[in-house]
Amino acid sequence: MQPSDATSETLLSPYLGFGLGLRTPHYEQVLQEQPDVDWFEVLSENYMVAGGKPRYYLEAIGERYPLVMHGVSMSIGSTDPLNMEYLRSLKALANAVNPRWISDHICWTSIHGVNSHDLLPLPYTWETVRHVAERVKQVQDFLGRRILLENVSSYLSYRNSEMNEWEFLNAVCDEADCLILLDVNNIYVSARNHGFDPLDYLNVVNPLRVQQIHLAGHSDYGDYVIDTHDHDVPDAVWDLYRETLKRLGPVSSMIERDGNIPTFDELYNELGQARTIADDVLGIDAIPASKRHVFGAAQQAVQEVARV
Amino acid sequence: MSELERLQDTMMRYLLQPDADNEADCLQWVDDQHGLAAPQRLHIYANAYKARLREVIDTDHEMLGLYLGDELFEQMVSGYLAAYQSPYTSLRQYCDRLPEFLRQDSFFSQYPILSDLAGFERRLFDAFDAAESDRVPVNALEGIAANHWPILKVRFHPSVQLCQFQSNAVESWQALKHNQEPPAPRLGESRYWLLWRNQERVTEFSSLQYWQYRLMAGFLNGDDLSQQCELLLDTFDENETPGQVFAALQAWLEMGIISHFS
Repeated sequence: MQPSDATSETLLSPYLGFGLGLRTPHYEQVLQEQPDVDWFEVLSENYMVAGGKPRYYLEAIGERYPLVMHGVSMSIGSTDPLNMEYLRSLKALANAVNPRWISDHICWTSIHGVNSHDLLPLPYTWETVRHVAERVKQVQDFLGRRILLENVSSYLSYRNSEMNEWEFLNAVCDEADCLILLDVNNIYVSARNHGFDPLDYLNVVNPLRVQQIHLAGHSDYGDYVIDTHDHDVPDAVWDLYRETLKRLGPVSSMIERDGNIPTFDELYNELGQARTIADDVLGIDAIPASKRHVFGAAQQAVQEVARV
Repeated sequence: MSELERLQDTMMRYLLQPDADNEADCLQWVDDQHGLAAPQRLHIYANAYKARLREVIDTDHEMLGLYLGDELFEQMVSGYLAAYQSPYTSLRQYCDRLPEFLRQDSFFSQYPILSDLAGFERRLFDAFDAAESDRVPVNALEGIAANHWPILKVRFHPSVQLCQFQSNAVESWQALKHNQEPPAPRLGESRYWLLWRNQERVTEFSSLQYWQYRLMAGFLNGDDLSQQCELLLDTFDENETPGQVFAALQAWLEMGIISHFS
C-alpha cells in the first residue's frame, strides 16, 4: 500500500519546533524561568479535573507556550460505543486550553466499560480499518477538528491481521482523514519485538499526514523491548529519528518522559540533541515556525540536503 | 458479536484473570512469531495491567502502604484488583473504592483504621483538584446588615471536605508523613476533620470539635444562621452561641474557605 497522494499542504497545522511533555515536577521551573522550549504537550486526562494545581499551572503555562493535548483513554479501536462523557470532557478541556492539536492512540483500551489502562494493539484487518475510521470521523465531527493518532508499541500480533502495522495506520488515517503522531521510539520497540525493519515503516508511512513526532526511551530486555518511557532517548532511537526527518522533513518533535523523570534541565539538554539532528539533517533549525509548516518547505529542505 | 469484539472480549478476560483457560482462549488469536513465544508476549500485557494499577495504589496511598508494610500491601493490592475493575478513563479515580474495600474485606475489615486512612487520603485528592472559586475577603462580615444575619447562608470553597473517622487514622497519617512510628490504633471515638485547599493551592487539614463539624455540615446542607444557632443550643447557652458562631465564621474567612454569603 502506498501513501495517499492527497494534497496535504492544508492538512497540517503550523510547525511548532521542539517541545517537551509537561510534567508536574517541572511546573514551577517552567513558569518561573520560561525556558527556551517551543511548545509543551499535556496529558489530557491529567487535566480533566475541576481545578487546583493542575489546572492553575496548565492555564499559566498555556499563556506563555503553545500547547498540544495528548490522551490515552479515547479507546478509538474499542467495540464499545464511543465514550461521550469522556469526549465531552475532552472538548471542554480543549475549549479551555486552546491546544494546537489533540492526539490519542491507534489502539483499544477498554471494552464492556472496563478500562485496561493499557494501549492494546488492534488486529490489522480491513474490518478494523473501517471500524476505527468510522469512529475517528465521529470524534472529529464532535470535536470540530482533525485528531492525530499515534502508533503504539506492541508485543504481540494477531493471527487474523491482513496487513502490516504501517499499512494499517495509513489506511485508517486516509479513510478517516485524520493525522498521525509518529512515535519513533514505538516504531523501534515494535520493530525489535516483531522483527521488522523500522525503515520499512518509515518508507511507507504517509508523510503528508505526520503532524508530530514523539521521542522516548525504553527498557531493553534482550529478547524483547518494553516501551517504558523512563530512560533517556537511546542512540538507536536518535538514529531512527534522523532517518525519519530525512523522509518527512521538519515535523514538530518532542521528548515524552513518563517515569524516572529527570530534572527539567536534563530533559532540556536532551531536547537539544533533537535540535542538533534536525539541524544536521535539514539545516533549517533556525527557520521561524511561521515559515516552516508547509510540507513543500520540508521537501525543498530534503532536496537541498540531498544536493549537498 | 463481530470478530473484533470477540478478540477484545477474550483479551480483556485474560487481562483481568490471566489463568490457564483464559490464556488458552487468548492464544487462539495470537500469532506465533520468531523470538518470544506467544504466551510470553501475552504475559507482558498481563503483567503491565497489574503493575500499572498497583503503582496507582502505591502512589495514591503512600501512607496507607507504609502503615501496612510490604506483605499486607501486596495482599490489599491483589484483593482490590480482583474485586474492582476500572470503569474510569483516568487512573485518578481508580482507588475511589479502596476505603469501601477495606471496610468490607473479611481480613482488612478487622482493622477499621485502614479504611479511615484510605478515606483520608482520598479526601486529600478531592481537595487537591476541586474546582476553583472566589474567596470572600476577611472583613466581609462587616458588610452584612443586621437584619440579614438570621437568614445568612454560607457557601464554602469547593475544596472543603468534612470527614468523620472512628479512629486515630489522621494522627497515624501525620506520624508516617514525618517518618515517625504511628501511634497504636485507637478506635471507637469519633474524630472530625476539615480539609481544604488554601489560596496558594496547598492542601491543608485541621481537626474540628463536634459542634464545629455540625456547624459546617449544617451550612453545607443549606441551613441558615438562625437554624444553626438553634442547633448549637445543646452545646452553648443562648448568650454564648452567637459569639461562638461569629468566631467560627471569622476563622473560616481567615482560612479563605468561604466562597459566598447569601
